[in-house]
Amino acid sequence: MLTIEAGEEGVVALKGRLDAAQAANAQATLDKVQGTVTLDLAGLDYISSAGLGVLLKTQKRLMAAGGKVRLAGVGPHLRDIFVYSGFDQLFEIEAVK
Amino acid sequence: MATGRQRHLSAEDLEAILGVTSRLAAPFDLATMLAEVVDAAKQVLKADRGSVWLYDAAHDELVLEIGTGLAAVRIPAGTGIVGACARTRVPINVPDCYADPRFDRGMDRATGYRTRCMLTLPLVDHRDALVGVMQVLNKAGGSFDRDDEDLATALAAQCAVALQRARLTDALIESERMRQELEMAREVQMSTLPSTMPVVPGYDVHGFSRPAEQTGGDTFDLMATDRGLVVVLGDATGHGIAPALSVTQMQAMLRMAFRLGADLPTAFRNVNDQLAATLPEDRFITAFIGVLEPRSHRFEFHSGGQGPILHLSVRGACTSHRPTSFPLGAMPLGKLRPAVVLDLQPGDVVALITDGVYEYQDAAGECYGEARVKAIARSHGARPMSELAARILADVEAFAGGAPQLDDVTMVLVARAPATDVRRFPRRVDALPDLVAFTGAFFERHGVDSTLLSNVDFAIEELFTNMVKYSLPGGAEVEVALARIAGGVEVALTDYDVEPFNLTRAPDADVTLPIGERRPGGLGIHLTRRLVEGLDYQYAAERREARITFRKTAAAADADGAGEA
Repeated sequence: MLTIEAGEEGVVALKGRLDAAQAANAQATLDKVQGTVTLDLAGLDYISSAGLGVLLKTQKRLMAAGGKVRLAGVGPHLRDIFVYSGFDQLFEIEAVK
Repeated sequence: MATGRQRHLSAEDLEAILGVTSRLAAPFDLATMLAEVVDAAKQVLKADRGSVWLYDAAHDELVLEIGTGLAAVRIPAGTGIVGACARTRVPINVPDCYADPRFDRGMDRATGYRTRCMLTLPLVDHRDALVGVMQVLNKAGGSFDRDDEDLATALAAQCAVALQRARLTDALIESERMRQELEMAREVQMSTLPSTMPVVPGYDVHGFSRPAEQTGGDTFDLMATDRGLVVVLGDATGHGIAPALSVTQMQAMLRMAFRLGADLPTAFRNVNDQLAATLPEDRFITAFIGVLEPRSHRFEFHSGGQGPILHLSVRGACTSHRPTSFPLGAMPLGKLRPAVVLDLQPGDVVALITDGVYEYQDAAGECYGEARVKAIARSHGARPMSELAARILADVEAFAGGAPQLDDVTMVLVARAPATDVRRFPRRVDALPDLVAFTGAFFERHGVDSTLLSNVDFAIEELFTNMVKYSLPGGAEVEVALARIAGGVEVALTDYDVEPFNLTRAPDADVTLPIGERRPGGLGIHLTRRLVEGLDYQYAAERREARITFRKTAAAADADGAGEA
C-alpha cells in the first residue's frame, strides 16, 4: 500500500510501497503539486522503476515552471536505487536525519 | 703421452677400429656393450685381457662389473692407477707393473694371473663427460708402445660414445617401465570409481577424482544400498601401484560389507581390522565412510583420519567435523567412538575433499587451504554439485598458477535440495501485492536475511511487470519459484506460451543524461542487473517457455558494499 500526505508547507510524505501497482495513483496525486516540493521518503519502504518514472515526470514538470522536487529521508535501499539509476544527479537528495 | 704427436694409423689398424666401431653401433644393452668394448680393445691392441670401469658420478666412484651374480667392485675416483686415469683423463702406460709402486698386486694374488704390462685409458664421450676407464693387460709379445697409446686413444673415443649411449638407453627403459607401472596403477584406480552418479531423490551428489602424474591412492564411491546411499572418500599413503591397489581393496571390502547388510560401525570396524591384517606395516588409508538415509535426511559417518569434513548450512554456518578414528588399517580397532550424525536441512552441503586440494601448493609453496574451499562452497553452494566441483578445481588451478599437481585431487559433494516455494500469479499488475506477500512470507519462514527483501522484490516486480507488458493478454499465469540457498535466495520466474525475448540482454540505460532527455523506460532491468546476482534468461522453444533466474545473497551484498567503499 501507498499513502501520500501533504504535510507542512511544500512537504509531501510518501509512505509504504511505490511499485507498479501504485504508480498510477501516485502520479495522479503528484500531478497536483506546484512550485518547489520536498518529498519526505522516510516512510517509503520500497520503490520500483515504475515509481522512479513518477518522480521523474513530476521533476520535469516542476522544473519547466521554475520549481523542483527535493527528496528527503532517503534510506539505504532507496539510496542504492537512486545511485544506480543516476537519479542522484537529477534530484537534490537528503539522507535520513 | 700421446698429446701433441702426429701418427698415422696403419691401414690394418684403421680397418680394425672401423670394424669395431660398426659393431659398437648395434643397439646393445649395457652389459653386452661392456663385453663388446672389452673384446674390441683386446682385439685391436692384441692384449690378453681387458676391463672397463664405469664412472658413477653420483658417488664419484669407479665401478667394475665382474660377472653376473657377483657384487661389483667399487673404488673411489682418484685411487690407484684406474683412479688417477679418471682424474687426469690421460692414458697411463705401465710397461712393467711389478716395477711400478702404483700397481696393486692384490688382484693378481686373488686371481693367480700375472700382470706384466698395462695400458689404462680414460673413456670420455663427445660431450666431454667421463664415462669410465678402460684397461688392457699383457700385450702379446711385449709391452704397449706409443703407437698402441694412439690406437687405444682412438678406440677409447668410440667406446666411450657407445657406452654412454647404452647407459642412457638403459636409464630410458627403466623410466619407461616406471611410467608404465604408474599408468597401470592409474587404470586400476580409475576403473573402480563410479562412472555415473546415483540418483537420490531430494539430493544432488557428485564425485570427482583426478590422479596426479605420480599417482597417489585416492578413491571415492557412491553406492545405493538398502540402508541408504553409501558415501566413501579414501586416500591411501604412498605413490605408485601399491596405494592404488590398497584403496581398490578397501572399496571392494566396503561394497561387500554393505551388500551383505552390515551397518556402518560393523562395516567400518571389519574393514579396518582386515586392512590392518593385510596392509604392510607402514601403510594405511584415510577414509570417510558415511551412510545417507535420504528420507530422514540422517547422514551418519565414521572417518578414519579423513578430514576436514565440511558441513555448510544455508543459514551461513560452516561446521568442520573432525575424524572419529585413526586411519584405516593403521592397527586393529579397540573402542570405536559413536558415529557422527548430521541432520541435513534443505540446501545443506557436505563437502568431502582430499588433501590433494587442501595441500595443493603454488610456486611459492603456499597451500590452497580450507578457507578458500569454504569461500567457494558459500558462494556456489546453491549451484549443481558438478558445477561446484568444477569451480573448486578451477580456483585451485588459478591459485597454483601452473605449479604441478603432486597429489590426487578427489571430491565428493552431497547437497540436500533447497527449500522451495512455487506459486502462479495472474498476469496482471494488481497481482503485485500477492507476490510481495509471497516473498515476504518465504523470507520469514526460512529465515532469509530480511535486508535482502527489498532488492529481491524490486527484481521480481521489474521482471514480472515486463512479462505482463510484453506478452499476449489472457495467457497462462507466471510461475514464481523461491529457493532458500546459502546466504540468501534463488528466484525463478517462468512465463508460458511466449515468444523468445531476452530481457536480460537489454542495453543499460544511460543514467548520465540531463533530465530533459531522461526516460524511465529501460531503468528497471538496468537496476535489476545491479541489485541481484546471476541474472539469467533461458528459452525452451518446444514448450514456448521463458525462464528468468537470479540470486540474492548476503555474501555478495557485502562484497558490493566493500567494492563501493
